[in-house]
Amino acid sequence: MSATAFLLLLLTTASPVQTRNQTSSAPPLREVTDETGRAVRLPAQIGRIVSLAPSLTETVYALGLQDKLVGDTEYCDYPADAAKKHKVGGAINPNMEEIAALKPDVVLVVKSLNRLETVRALEQLGIPVYSTDPHSVIGVIESMKRLSDVLGAGNAGAKLERTLRERLAEIQTKLKDSPPKRVFFVVWTEPLQSIGKRTFIADLLTYCGATSVVESQQDWPKFSLEETVRLEPEYLVFATNHSDNVKNEVEALAVKPGWSAMKAIKYRKIAVVSDAINRPGPRIVDAVEELARQIHPEVFAEKN
Amino acid sequence: MQPLTLSKVAVRCGILALVLFVVVVIALKFGAVPVSLYGLTKDLVGVLIGRSSNISSEYGMIIREIRLPRIALGIFVGASLSVAGTSFQALLRNPLADPYVLGVSYGAAVGSVLALIVEPHLALRPEIAAVFTPLGGFFGATLTIAAVYLLGRYHGDIDSKTLLLSGVIVGSFFSAMILLLITMLPSSSTRGVVYWLMGDLSTPMPPILGWVLRTGFFAGFALIYLTASDLNLLLAGEKEAMHLGVDVKKVQLVVYLAASALTGLAVSVSGSIGYVGLIVPHVMRMIFGTDYRMLLPASAFGGAIAVVIADTMARTVAAPSELGVGAVTAIVGAPLFIYLLRRRLA
Amino acid sequence: MNADVRLSVEQVSYAYSPNPSQAPIFTLEATSFQVKPGEIVAVLGPNASGKSTVLRLVAGALEPLSGRILLNGAETHLMEPRARAQKIAMVQQESQLLFPAKVWEFVLQGRHPHGKSLRFENSDDVTIATNALRQVGADHLADRWMDEISGGEKQRVILARALAQQPVLLLLDEPTLHLDIGAQVDFLHTLKKLTSVNRYAVVIVTHELNLAGEYADQVVLMQKGKCLRVGTPASVYQRDLLEQVFQTRLTVEQRVNGRPKVSVLESSE
Repeated sequence: MSATAFLLLLLTTASPVQTRNQTSSAPPLREVTDETGRAVRLPAQIGRIVSLAPSLTETVYALGLQDKLVGDTEYCDYPADAAKKHKVGGAINPNMEEIAALKPDVVLVVKSLNRLETVRALEQLGIPVYSTDPHSVIGVIESMKRLSDVLGAGNAGAKLERTLRERLAEIQTKLKDSPPKRVFFVVWTEPLQSIGKRTFIADLLTYCGATSVVESQQDWPKFSLEETVRLEPEYLVFATNHSDNVKNEVEALAVKPGWSAMKAIKYRKIAVVSDAINRPGPRIVDAVEELARQIHPEVFAEKN
Repeated sequence: MQPLTLSKVAVRCGILALVLFVVVVIALKFGAVPVSLYGLTKDLVGVLIGRSSNISSEYGMIIREIRLPRIALGIFVGASLSVAGTSFQALLRNPLADPYVLGVSYGAAVGSVLALIVEPHLALRPEIAAVFTPLGGFFGATLTIAAVYLLGRYHGDIDSKTLLLSGVIVGSFFSAMILLLITMLPSSSTRGVVYWLMGDLSTPMPPILGWVLRTGFFAGFALIYLTASDLNLLLAGEKEAMHLGVDVKKVQLVVYLAASALTGLAVSVSGSIGYVGLIVPHVMRMIFGTDYRMLLPASAFGGAIAVVIADTMARTVAAPSELGVGAVTAIVGAPLFIYLLRRRLA
Repeated sequence: MNADVRLSVEQVSYAYSPNPSQAPIFTLEATSFQVKPGEIVAVLGPNASGKSTVLRLVAGALEPLSGRILLNGAETHLMEPRARAQKIAMVQQESQLLFPAKVWEFVLQGRHPHGKSLRFENSDDVTIATNALRQVGADHLADRWMDEISGGEKQRVILARALAQQPVLLLLDEPTLHLDIGAQVDFLHTLKKLTSVNRYAVVIVTHELNLAGEYADQVVLMQKGKCLRVGTPASVYQRDLLEQVFQTRLTVEQRVNGRPKVSVLESSE
């Protein structure tokens, strides 16, 4: 009976309003606004960072703050050292206990990947969460600069921004006189799925001297084979770290009825970009360059 | 002739409570941070006394703020689902009935997904925003409960056969809507929704929700338990029950509303955790018999125990990754169900 | 009303509409009869004669279109379900039990109308239920499972549950339908004895002419919703009348004990 009483007591005495204790002796706090408009209270010095997105992990390394990174997700694999950090689970479903046990000064999330519930749950535990929300290539660069200021690495951030902008400008200069190529960015082959006009990748394509043939307002519009052939893209762009798989897949598609009608398949006008294109982080300009090289080979061949 | 007495029920419930307590203590031991039984006891005592500062600050916060609430959530979700399943089995006179057969969970899912889609476009106060998705879920559940009832009436009165039909139809409609809605979501939300649909206790929630769940459970359980004798008679047949003095329509309405509300609450906060509401009643029947005066509280405890165990497995088996608790109940539940089915047929 | 009469059925009729737009179908036209304590009244007739409707009206499950049904002066369909079940007990074909139950559990259900909605049985209930089983001669079955016992035994157990309700009016809907002749006789014999001992008023619906003739004190003869005659078996079992109702050639033997016997004629006789 006492066991029942204990249990009932335990479970029913928790009232709706809980007091939130600051367990640490208060270091000075500053307030910043993150990219979703939330007010975030952070310690003046950031010593311990947890990243819940691969792109943010890469950013942390690019800013030289990797020693302060105490935890990241299972998908954080770049650079190689990131894979060795303490894992807190997935980006969608991170383990709350793991994060809390690491006692981070800030947890970094990106709005397009991480869940709002995760953010709220961490806030409820008294752990500050800073969210980025870039929507374009320039947006990514600016976001990283802002993050560097928040994390106390403003100098490294400024340098990163400068470097990336310069490289980007260089590529733009090279492509100045070439008309943009029409491309179809392949998210999935069966059913055919691409990216919409308002997505980050559509923006990125413009820097590569390309334009997406897709005019949709949806984020991930689906297409029939017919429609795609009618749009007559000059290139099909795939994003993956396994370019061999893509080659095999294209070969398999080339012999399928309907697919061979697509010029891009017939003439094997395929561009493969590394998965970095899907990560709004420091390698974004690498991805731009990689893609630009493949679809404007003549411009870049001269350089060599 | 040894009829069931109140003291027999109380004693058996006491034993079940003890089992639940042991399961909770064991569950508390598992997690990202190691916990010693001594440290655990100290922490628990500290919580009882009222959050005294005796708690080792290192892990106390994690136990208190993360692990314990999660276990408490599991207890009440499990209890709600089991009691709902047991009730529906009597209401619909069908041993295969589970809490989701009348469509409530699909309605709740549609409500939650809609809330998820709509929320970024509304400027909500933070307190409301925090509970917006479960609120949408509960709204969807309420709508479904009303729709199924209105469609499932026969000559103006509630009727178990048409109710079942109505529930299946409404449920399948909403189920199709969910798939449609998911394709409309930005892909990042889709993954979160899929986790939730499978049943997920891993996200800590605002305390107010926990309070609503607890209070709702006790209220719903009390309402249903008051009809326990009537339910025993209903099992013998509706006409027989009527001739034995049971107000059949009233009992059916009360049980339908209360059990659906329990399901709606549970699903709104944790998604559709499967098999618990179907199997726990049968297991408890095998142990305690079919008298609902014992079976209802037994199912409550059984469901709580089952979900706490399943959730503990979900968060330890593939650490630091988490399996959804719904995945665990499905993996364990399906073979268990087949086994029970075969035993029954033998 | 005669103070000796327990159940009074007064010019009762019933009709229902299968759906609101259709004209109502009359299942029962004005019917009247009375039952005294200790009396068995058989409602007799072929299929679709309205006899089940009569029973359900008496049980208070239906509201009469016209007329009244009074049990000790109170209208049955106006009684609150619980109060009604304390006075009226029904014995009918059982639905399939959803989960297995023991005989004693089943009989104990008869105590449900007495007391609050959520109740736990006390020792009085146990005594009454045990007595009921004994009275039907089934106390040796108490610990058996309901689905294990024979049809005849089951019918007696159902009767025991009705007796456990301690009713003043006992209603039976074709209780001997699925029983063999020996079990039928057993059952009705027990019923008659108990009716006399416990002073029940009994209404039994049946289409078995000879059983009704043997055991009923009064017969209500029905055909197509009409009550054709009410009276003792001897007075009701007139050959022309029976032939018209049952659409078959037969002979009626009026015996010395007042109990007529009906035999079906072969077409050659």
